[in-house]
Amino acid sequence: MSDQTGARAGEESSTYAVEMEGITKRFPGVVANDDVDFAVERETVHALVGENGAGKTTLMNILYGFYEPTEGTVSVDGVPREFDSPRDAMDAGIGMIHQHFMLVKPMTVAENVVLGAEPTRFFGLLTDETAAIRTTRDLAGRYGFDIDPTDRIHETSVGEQQRVEILKALYRGAEILILDEPTAVLTPQEVEALYGMFEELIDEGKTIIFITHKLGEALEAADRISVLRDGRLVETVRAAETTREELASMMVGRDVLFDVTSDPVEYGSTTLAVDDLVVEDDRGIRAVDDVSFSVQAGEVFGVAGVDGNGQSELVEAITGLRPVESGTITFDGEGVTALSRRGRIGAGMAYIAEDRQHRSLVLEYDLLRNGLLGCQTLPRFSNGPFIDWDATGEYVDDVIAEYDVRPPDRDTTARSLSGGNQQKFVVGREFERDPSLVVASQPTRGVDIGSIEFIHNRLLDLRTEGIAVLLVSSKLEEVQRLSDRMAVIYDGQFMDVVDPDDVTEEEVGLLMAGERPAGGGQ
Amino acid sequence: MANAEPPKRLGPVVGLVIGLFVVLVFAVVLVPGLRELGADVVGIVDASYVRSALRFTVPIAFAGMGGIFAEKSGVINIGLEGLLIISAFTAIAVMWLLGDQGDAGRMLAMFGGVLASLLVTLLFAIICIEFKADQIIAGLAVWLIALGFAPFGSIIIWGTVNSDSVGSFDPLSIPLLSDLPYVGQVLFRATPPVYLMLLAVPFSWYLLNRTAFGKHLQASGEDPKTLDTAGVSVRKVRYAGVLLSGIYCGIGGAGLALNAGQFVGGGETITSGRGLIGLTTYLIANYNPVGAFLSAFFFAGLDALQLQIQRVPGIELSSTLIGIIPYVAVLIVLTFVGKTRMPESAGEHYESEE
Repeated sequence: MSDQTGARAGEESSTYAVEMEGITKRFPGVVANDDVDFAVERETVHALVGENGAGKTTLMNILYGFYEPTEGTVSVDGVPREFDSPRDAMDAGIGMIHQHFMLVKPMTVAENVVLGAEPTRFFGLLTDETAAIRTTRDLAGRYGFDIDPTDRIHETSVGEQQRVEILKALYRGAEILILDEPTAVLTPQEVEALYGMFEELIDEGKTIIFITHKLGEALEAADRISVLRDGRLVETVRAAETTREELASMMVGRDVLFDVTSDPVEYGSTTLAVDDLVVEDDRGIRAVDDVSFSVQAGEVFGVAGVDGNGQSELVEAITGLRPVESGTITFDGEGVTALSRRGRIGAGMAYIAEDRQHRSLVLEYDLLRNGLLGCQTLPRFSNGPFIDWDATGEYVDDVIAEYDVRPPDRDTTARSLSGGNQQKFVVGREFERDPSLVVASQPTRGVDIGSIEFIHNRLLDLRTEGIAVLLVSSKLEEVQRLSDRMAVIYDGQFMDVVDPDDVTEEEVGLLMAGERPAGGGQ
Repeated sequence: MANAEPPKRLGPVVGLVIGLFVVLVFAVVLVPGLRELGADVVGIVDASYVRSALRFTVPIAFAGMGGIFAEKSGVINIGLEGLLIISAFTAIAVMWLLGDQGDAGRMLAMFGGVLASLLVTLLFAIICIEFKADQIIAGLAVWLIALGFAPFGSIIIWGTVNSDSVGSFDPLSIPLLSDLPYVGQVLFRATPPVYLMLLAVPFSWYLLNRTAFGKHLQASGEDPKTLDTAGVSVRKVRYAGVLLSGIYCGIGGAGLALNAGQFVGGGETITSGRGLIGLTTYLIANYNPVGAFLSAFFFAGLDALQLQIQRVPGIELSSTLIGIIPYVAVLIVLTFVGKTRMPESAGEHYESEE
């Protein structure tokens, strides 16, 4: 397989920016990379795709010196290299942009760019602030990045922070940029801007490697795509010569159904009713502005929209995490507007939070204790005033088995799980509690394609079982595919509620941009 | 966003004003006959009063500014109080051993105090950084050990918890400048520790905000992994930050004792909580050394004031009650401070993964 890769990639040019040959990396009990040959041509964009745990990040960690390979060699610009630390890789012109940005939030853009290599004056006694700002501005100008060097990081958007990360690497002389899941946190517009930046960088002679599990992105932005599965390199292909389906089956090892079919179901009674709801955000600004809707038992009600249009506040108000300014929330016929979070859990409201690491899991806890989170007061898990650990253990083992959480060990900490497995665990924990309503907020954000398929199918199973589902996602195709009815939210208001099978992407796009349909509102 | 910060901090200013106001009302309403004594009270706030307030500021401001360096680097040092005690005791002990050697001897005694404080801080730093002890517990230990050790040392040397009286710093007049009206009286006829403090304030601000070391210090407390990734050793930066707090406390403690000319080992010792007040000064000032100095001056000013009030004839109020004025003021100010933004990783251990 790897011979074929070499032949394919070697057609055009003999010099590679990066050549990794026979890379094997073993961790205790795991082979993360198994005899991987990976080569990247200079001045190209190369995508590395694979499911979570396929070994993409390990391979890149080897390339930028964070891990040493158990076997194999790394060459940069044709010169064999051995990196003992990221510092060595940096000196060889390799810059890594992590998924979680490495930025000091209270500091300015310029301060972050030069951190650790500050320009100084007065014989090195004082830092030269103006030089730092000028250098940053020049660098940003050369690559067409729109950014103000004097902004503090916490004032900037996620897209801008990513640009700062790229500038940091460029300031340190990076010729080869590695980006780990660069689009995971970006809005569609920011993703477009990122692709534009790729082009500018390539024009300036840089080489880009990016890790992703979104096939559409790899096809759109990359010249070449390498697919990893279970630590092995399946194949390296030209983006122009492959299809989404072909990539998906390489990645998963079998055919993937992209169309989930949702058979019509008889709706039951109204499970959730929201009337004239007004919610404020942390700054006291109206984030949800007079929203009304209802969700029936056996129905998936979707809320689509660009991130930051009030979705988070809406979900938090419904789940009892944020006070309501006015309006009412009715759940199973009872008014719950003022009911506590605990009360709502007890009443059968399950919640998949958008930020699983902060809201759904205690990362330092093992899965046993994480499985209990939120239900520690339910009679099912208690024994008088004490927690019934045996019952909890059984429950957690069931969740792990049913939802294919890996590794299947309730004693591992949540932190050591990959993003996809963390999410599968959370989904399992919430779904298995016998809820009558599931509020799923960005349920597949940052999750690999296999887990996405799994979570989608589970959501549809719930629907068949007659459970009401409120699905909030910024992935339009996800909402469109799963929902029975779909609302589009913009600036805290529902622009329209539509039948997802009956609208075109253009129509929804206009609603998402805040244009009301001619026929009138909700 | 959770990490959004208010652009301006009016809290401390409002707090200080209200604090002062409350203290004035407290004084005027509760103290019978004070209104008649208004003239006396105004008379209190003369140049010599400000001079003594500045002397009182020394240990608080040094503890506060030192604490900033430690905490900005990510290590919370609540042992500041203990370090003041150690340094105060050592400085007086060195003075006593040397005999009266003039200002040179006093500077040497001060150096001894700083050295002792630095050694204890080094121990604290090793325990916190290498052995990853809980910083709060380790800091408390520093305080409690100092609280026990210093009076014990006094008993060994002098036979009681209080030291003999040794020579203290004399005010040092700066030619020409000291002839300026009022300002000259206040600022340029001070003792060496006061001059050191007035120099340390801008020095600390520059060190923190305008040097590469200062930036690394801040990054180390906010986001050590980022600093590590940028190729700077978090360990070294944290050691430097903590040891700086030890040096500052050393100067503060020795300055306090050598201004007084004696070590008092009874009760909370001569420092009587000034290290802890120092801790609050930088929280009030949101880790700005200039603000920490001003808060320290505010507290010391009240402290000097309550001593003066006790001396005003005709006030029939328990001196203990008057003595709590500064502490009450600190409580009130703290109530109004609002948001102090702690460094995000303060108190957390960091282990480089390389």
